[in-house]
Amino acid sequence: MRVVRLALVALGVMAPLGATTARAQEPLTVFAAASLTDAFNDIGKAWVAQGRRQVRFSFAASSTLAKQIEQGAPAAIFASADAQWMDYLAERKLVEPASRVVLATNRLVLVVPADKASSVDLRSGINYARLFPGERIATGDPAHVPVGRYAEQALKAIGAWDAFAPRLVRSESVRAALAFVERGEVAAGIVYSTDAAITPNVRVAGTFPAASHERIVYPVAAVAGKAGDETRAFLAFLTGPFARGILRRYGFGDP
Amino acid sequence: MTPVELEALSLSLQVAALATLASLPFAIAIAYALARGRFPGRALADAVVHMPLVLPPVVVGYFLLLLFGTRGPIGHWLDSVLGIRLIFTMKGAALASAVMSFPLMVRAIRLALDAVDPGLEEAASTLGARPLDTFRSVTLPLMLPGILSGAVVAFAASLGEFGATITFVSNIEGETRTLPLAIFTATQSPGGEAIAGRLVLIAFALAIAMLMLSEALARRVARAIGR
Repeated sequence: MRVVRLALVALGVMAPLGATTARAQEPLTVFAAASLTDAFNDIGKAWVAQGRRQVRFSFAASSTLAKQIEQGAPAAIFASADAQWMDYLAERKLVEPASRVVLATNRLVLVVPADKASSVDLRSGINYARLFPGERIATGDPAHVPVGRYAEQALKAIGAWDAFAPRLVRSESVRAALAFVERGEVAAGIVYSTDAAITPNVRVAGTFPAASHERIVYPVAAVAGKAGDETRAFLAFLTGPFARGILRRYGFGDP
Repeated sequence: MTPVELEALSLSLQVAALATLASLPFAIAIAYALARGRFPGRALADAVVHMPLVLPPVVVGYFLLLLFGTRGPIGHWLDSVLGIRLIFTMKGAALASAVMSFPLMVRAIRLALDAVDPGLEEAASTLGARPLDTFRSVTLPLMLPGILSGAVVAFAASLGEFGATITFVSNIEGETRTLPLAIFTATQSPGGEAIAGRLVLIAFALAIAMLMLSEALARRVARAIGR
């Protein structure tokens, strides 16, 4: 009986909250790859400053976000760090194909803690077993996180995979891998050049040859059934000159 | 079971066993101090012991990273003096599990301790037993069911630890990828649903076995203290 009364009291307390959120305009929900965090936060602020509808972001590995959208997460827009996860949703008819565009490009780099700055030649024909001996190297989990997939391709292309694979710390997103390098808990990390640029605590030791991995692209699209006016307007804003300027400022390449 | 599933399962069992065995002596000592000790700051100590139960696991993992990482004050000392590395290792995963399940263990042991009749201990000491003898030959045996059930609960909780583990020791196959982390990885991977499903079944079976074991032990405790 007491439990029922408590539950009723709780409902009574929560009911007005529910009513206000229903009355206020629902913010636009954007699911974006972790590497887009800083650029998208700035773009979102600029959008709201124009008096448009609030946007709220959910940043995580593209794999995590795609899986959540597959399970019906209330996202209106999805920005992926690779084509694979956008294709994954497209195959399941969960994004509007007509709305899909490539927003930006990126480069893959090897970073080291800033107090251990060094330079590494990332070509094939180098004895990578002697690089960072006994130390760990962090990147996204190659099983699903885009940066990890690119890293696996690149390491295989330059012949470093066998030397690095057993020592990889497979993080749940590129930013988690970056954080391990920032704290000096790993000898190196493989992240995007834009991630390396946002923190003074890491230095780029080398850039992977562009030909060593798939082109790093950021496709963006409206989630199926969510392509309303506001969604389309924000997509146009994302691909417009103002957002392009912000993306460039963070080091993203043009599509 | 596939090799991947077997590896995750055996790693989980190893991590949970190490976590439970390593924390058991500390849990008994702290439970004893909290139940019987009269010292300033006891309430504070009680609260600190219970912190992992109410803090977000990721916060606990982050603290462990700051303290026990190779650049953390304790981790640096362990690494440079003893050559022990906890971060990104199975031992570190055990530490994360031990810290997270510690309050559960202490609680179970303390309950058993509260049920020990102080009259029996007094009898022992009037018969000339020194405090340590009394503890070893009277208190400890009477606490045993509680210690067992505390260990089982902590073991079961360790099997399910996720947040502190992934934050502190990441998700490394064969080293720190325990059952929950393997399930997480599978759910994130394209076409990983079948693997996740099988791992979930294993986790279910383990959890049910652990719960039944701890219930059986709890019943024995109840009988032992005459209720």
